[in-house]
Amino acid sequence: MAIKRAAAVVGIGQTDWLGDYEKTKKGERPADSYGYGARAFVNALSDAGIDRSEIDGLIVGPTTAYERMGEILGLETRWGGQADAVQAMMQAVMAIETGMAKVVALVYGNNQRSGGTQYGGPDASGAASFLSYVYHAPWGLTSQGALYAMMLRAYMHERGFTERDMGQVAVAQRGWSSMNPDAVMQEKVTIDDYLASRYVCEPLHLLDYCLINDGGVALIVAEASIAKKMSKHPVFIEALGRSDLNKGATILEPRLTNFYLPAQQQCAEQVFNMAGIGPKDIDVAQIYDSFSVHVPLALEGYGYCPVGEVAKFMAEQGIGPGGKLPVNTSGGHLSDSYMQGWNHQIESVKQVRGTAGKRQVENCRFVHYSSDVAGKCSSIIYGR
Amino acid sequence: MTTPATTQSESTLPAMPKRVMGLYDRPFWDHIQARKLSLQCCAKCNTFQYPPGPICSACTSEDMNWTELSGKATIISWVVFARTYLPAYPAPYNVITVKLDEGPIFVSNLEGPEPTGTWIGAKVKLVYAEMAEGQLLPRFKLA
Repeated sequence: MAIKRAAAVVGIGQTDWLGDYEKTKKGERPADSYGYGARAFVNALSDAGIDRSEIDGLIVGPTTAYERMGEILGLETRWGGQADAVQAMMQAVMAIETGMAKVVALVYGNNQRSGGTQYGGPDASGAASFLSYVYHAPWGLTSQGALYAMMLRAYMHERGFTERDMGQVAVAQRGWSSMNPDAVMQEKVTIDDYLASRYVCEPLHLLDYCLINDGGVALIVAEASIAKKMSKHPVFIEALGRSDLNKGATILEPRLTNFYLPAQQQCAEQVFNMAGIGPKDIDVAQIYDSFSVHVPLALEGYGYCPVGEVAKFMAEQGIGPGGKLPVNTSGGHLSDSYMQGWNHQIESVKQVRGTAGKRQVENCRFVHYSSDVAGKCSSIIYGR
Repeated sequence: MTTPATTQSESTLPAMPKRVMGLYDRPFWDHIQARKLSLQCCAKCNTFQYPPGPICSACTSEDMNWTELSGKATIISWVVFARTYLPAYPAPYNVITVKLDEGPIFVSNLEGPEPTGTWIGAKVKLVYAEMAEGQLLPRFKLA
């Protein structure tokens, strides 16, 4: 495959989301979305040890405009666009593989906390991309969390999955974030804490929901031969995969009838075949977790355990510290930071580099990132 | 097409949250106002479609009719909001998804008595709730 190891991450940067969380709670506004993106970009440049002039591509996250971010960062580019975290990485690799760019900056900033972004209600964010987020407003169904609550309820019924099973995700991820000094939430929780936490939309508890915090993330991705010269620890994109469910999406059919399973299985086949490895070779899984329910769906969908056995897998094999399959080792969106998939990318890089501090997974060779937002299933495998 | 609201109760009725009202959505709400649950149905392949759209997504035909449904359905999932997002829906309130007897899935609310234990599999029937300004909203009750 031409995409396999065509490009590598040579620099990563992030903002101080714990410090900024404290500031925004006091009503301060440390930066806007561009400002957070710019800070992360400067940190990524410094991490890569390169000059801005070496960058010839820019992909920005969905919360900022491409042109304005390019203007602020002072970049003249040959390739660019706007994309979510996983598509940004895919587009960067494809631009590099096709020769349209050599060194691409991926820059994300989001002031969702200080800017008061609404994820539910009459002005629910994301509606321009996903009609399901607002179409059922006449019946009071608007928040993305509620759509996942509806999905979880059907899944619980179908598979005999319980709230106690679901709580394993929040507990495991707090276990990880307790070893992450950058994480917004570092206090461990127990299954009893989880079960006692209030519902936001039953059956989902508060601890099933992502944080809402400000911050930014940036990555510098370079063509493989350039990356080897540029960096002493390039992290290669081993493989990409994608499979999207669109039929019946607005009326929630893929969520309620097959739990994204066909798309995840197809995506898994592509990404593992391209990488030449299987789920057993993955040292760390990073799973997009706007809500905890993404995690069991992905573990089954990508073949980490047989369909219908994820509760047993999480309980017996383990996904937290000391578990057989470390999942969301930074704490993910639930406990580290809600950077809409972007923090999972830099955590993947840190784990492969071996620089993840106390939470470092020993001899980490391969990290699998999975995103299945609204049944659009995408995967990246990172390796040394 | 509209059913006038009674003047006494008008002030107490909740305002309908903002509806998506594209070119193809209007007939759905016009039918509801006439107390009919009608969905687009393809004249070529007989497939029901919701939300409505410009072509039949099953066969790409533009030849679509509005066909009335029985209003009979089965609950396939439900949630209970503990948080208020919309003035018309103070928490706690439920949202259900149902499979209509004719096939399509539909999002709505369950009015009146609730099932004990799981709601999934419960048979329901269509009712019309009156919102502010006489606007009708299709909901369900246990059958």
